[in-house]
Amino acid sequence: MNGYYGKLLEVNLTNRRSRVLDIPDEDLKNFIGGRGLGMKILTDRIKKPGLNPLSPDNPLLFMPGPFCGLPIPNSSRTCVITKSPRTTPAKSRYKHASGIAYSNMGGFFGPELRFAGYDGLIVTGKARKPSYIFIEDDRVEVRDASKYWGMKTDQFDVEFISDLGDRRFESCYIGPAGENLVPMACVINTAARAAGRGGTGCVMGSKNLKAIAVRGTRQPAVAEHARLLDLIDKSRETFAQLDNSVRRWRSGGTTDMIVSSSNNGTQAVKNYREGTFEEVQKIGTQVNREKIWKRDFACFTCPLACKKSGIAKGAYATFVHDGPEYETGTMLGANLLISDLNGLQKCIYDGDDYGIDIISAGNVIGFLMECYEKGLIDINYLDGIDLTWGSVEGTLAMLKKMAYREGVGEKACRGVKYLAGDIGKGSEKFAIHVKGHELAAWNVHRSPNSYGITYTMSTRGACHLAGGSRTSQDNMALRDSLGTCSFASSWFRNDLHYRHFMAAITGLEWSEKDFLMAGERIFNLEKLFNYREGFTSEDDILPERFFTEPFTYGPAEGAVVSRESFAGTVAKYYEDRGWDKSTSKPLPEKIAELGLSYFM
Amino acid sequence: MAMKELQSRRRFVRNISVGAGAIAVFRGVGLIGAQISGQNQIKAIFVDFDKCTGCRTCETVCSSVQNRVEIDGQRLRGLGNPEKSNIRVWHYNPDVDVPVTCFLCSDVPCIQACPVGPAPGTGRKAIYRDPELGTIKVDYERCIACGACAEVCASTRGGVIARNAETGKPERICTLCGGRTACVRNCPYGALSYQEITMDDELRNMTPDTIAVRLIEKYYEMQLETI
Repeated sequence: MNGYYGKLLEVNLTNRRSRVLDIPDEDLKNFIGGRGLGMKILTDRIKKPGLNPLSPDNPLLFMPGPFCGLPIPNSSRTCVITKSPRTTPAKSRYKHASGIAYSNMGGFFGPELRFAGYDGLIVTGKARKPSYIFIEDDRVEVRDASKYWGMKTDQFDVEFISDLGDRRFESCYIGPAGENLVPMACVINTAARAAGRGGTGCVMGSKNLKAIAVRGTRQPAVAEHARLLDLIDKSRETFAQLDNSVRRWRSGGTTDMIVSSSNNGTQAVKNYREGTFEEVQKIGTQVNREKIWKRDFACFTCPLACKKSGIAKGAYATFVHDGPEYETGTMLGANLLISDLNGLQKCIYDGDDYGIDIISAGNVIGFLMECYEKGLIDINYLDGIDLTWGSVEGTLAMLKKMAYREGVGEKACRGVKYLAGDIGKGSEKFAIHVKGHELAAWNVHRSPNSYGITYTMSTRGACHLAGGSRTSQDNMALRDSLGTCSFASSWFRNDLHYRHFMAAITGLEWSEKDFLMAGERIFNLEKLFNYREGFTSEDDILPERFFTEPFTYGPAEGAVVSRESFAGTVAKYYEDRGWDKSTSKPLPEKIAELGLSYFM
Repeated sequence: MAMKELQSRRRFVRNISVGAGAIAVFRGVGLIGAQISGQNQIKAIFVDFDKCTGCRTCETVCSSVQNRVEIDGQRLRGLGNPEKSNIRVWHYNPDVDVPVTCFLCSDVPCIQACPVGPAPGTGRKAIYRDPELGTIKVDYERCIACGACAEVCASTRGGVIARNAETGKPERICTLCGGRTACVRNCPYGALSYQEITMDDELRNMTPDTIAVRLIEKYYEMQLETI
């Protein structure tokens, strides 16, 4: 099909062989690329429920979208897809039941994979010793990575490219957390950008795969060349007008939301107990601009440059490769009541350096701080770490314990669901997760109808980027499949709608309805996969805290979620989705309408 | 603490020695071969490193205008494969980006290195400076594909001269788009400009690595020997 190579590169680490597989046109048309196509391939490979996510049979996919490798602004995203080592259903017949994991990273990796001539990479099997995959167009090799094993991500980023001897290579890799099979380990590129959520780095580690290096010299041909150039020109012109929103992304990135979210009472503060952080100004955009940031950075062909780099000084002197972003700054800052900016930067740096999901890690540390404060655990449980609110030292120590699975870290790295089971004493009421996956930096009390749905219905377990309604979820699934960045979606409207780009690329015209239906198909396929594993409506629940503990101060003081009202929202959501109201299973007519009968 | 650790692993040294030589050469020699009479200035592409975000839009734009394709009888811009671009953005850790295109070096080491004798009439070697805009061009008839120009550019300057995979002859040398400079016009951040370059302008006429070392010193207060 136009705009694609129709080629999937498979590297089997067990026998160190690679092969190039054809991707059927039907799959490209129905599942687009990125998250959607990855999901289709995952379901083709995993035929039965209950597969151990750390078994060599669990495929690990790196999927750019059809926008990647074309100079469409903001088209840099790569989706990493696998069976999750993080989520677990309340009840299941299968010991290793878990849902899907998809996690999306910016940078340059996805475009480069497309330049190399592939629409995706699937890694299967398990290497006998630490390895990395080397891809240079048709040349594909599995190489020894023993010398890098144990290396943290920042140092690896420096040494690996130096050893490759060509800075045109793009790479992604795991840190010690992934090597140590920490379930919440992530995949990192450029020392800071992360496919952070869902434990993709843990699966990579289980394959003894330290890194992937790729360099390519090609580009796919498109159906309507002149039309695509015209759309690209027009979208560039739109961004070049530098409206306030473009300026805001450039000046503050997602960091701007640290203060605004606190002011709105929508921030995760003190393990989600509150929505406003009284010391938030100490970690917001302004002080970072003044004291930390030196440079703004962009992903491939992006005009927004939301990534900020600089240095922190003093006792916690460190490079700042990125942040604090809204998520990292809130989860390790506001959520832990940390307002020491240099200390916060050091926590973020270390999290990235270990290659650990900072959202989950910050959530876990907040949970333990609360347990410690309430006397549900003592200092011995924490291996002597005095884990009080606001403690930078305690947070740094916990991050290290988790990355290396030492002592309390062995438990903590499994997440708050596991910890609540271990600690008991009612702690499950403030263990802030859905399906075992920790919530992110947006609090729920004030916005149950959007974030409540986002977190409960997300197919990878609690996730802030899944969308808060059926339409929003379908749109997010589409963007993750195209390889474009959702931060830029507001500029791709009307004449610049993504579907016009897709029409120019593929030659197939999509109506708005058909296009959205592709997103719906992808989301439902994920849901079906999870349902087969044993996830039902019983798993689509919010943590107890949101229903019973109103905020005690701030602009949203008193905010709490009404159980009845939220139950109504969920029921309406199922109905809107065409899912069974009692079980949450997609109804047969919905499955047929979306062409997903093959999966049943 | 952390900073000290990082600095030591990156071979912390007290003085940056790399690059000083290149500056001295530039300052001492003037504009040999730049047939812009009586001027110590030349118009070239200038990078404002404070503004560059490393998005590589310039690469795609350059490639697009430099590699036209014929589709249904129409000659159109290409899709912008960065591999075929005349400008290259090099990324480093700690985070700096170094876009490099032909510096139009005053002392033209590429021309100096060319072993092909001057052509009767024009006096040009196989690689020569075009008088109109000061760009470096190749006489493909006379070029013997020895690679000396690419080699010297890579070891002492921007490394912008590529060699054709089949013929071995130099290519991908900035043309300034005949003065229209597509990269400059399309940079989303205004990091590129087409302007008079003077001998005092630093961070030119040296390797991307050397520029990166200097930028890292500037932004991150770290002195590196190598990168």
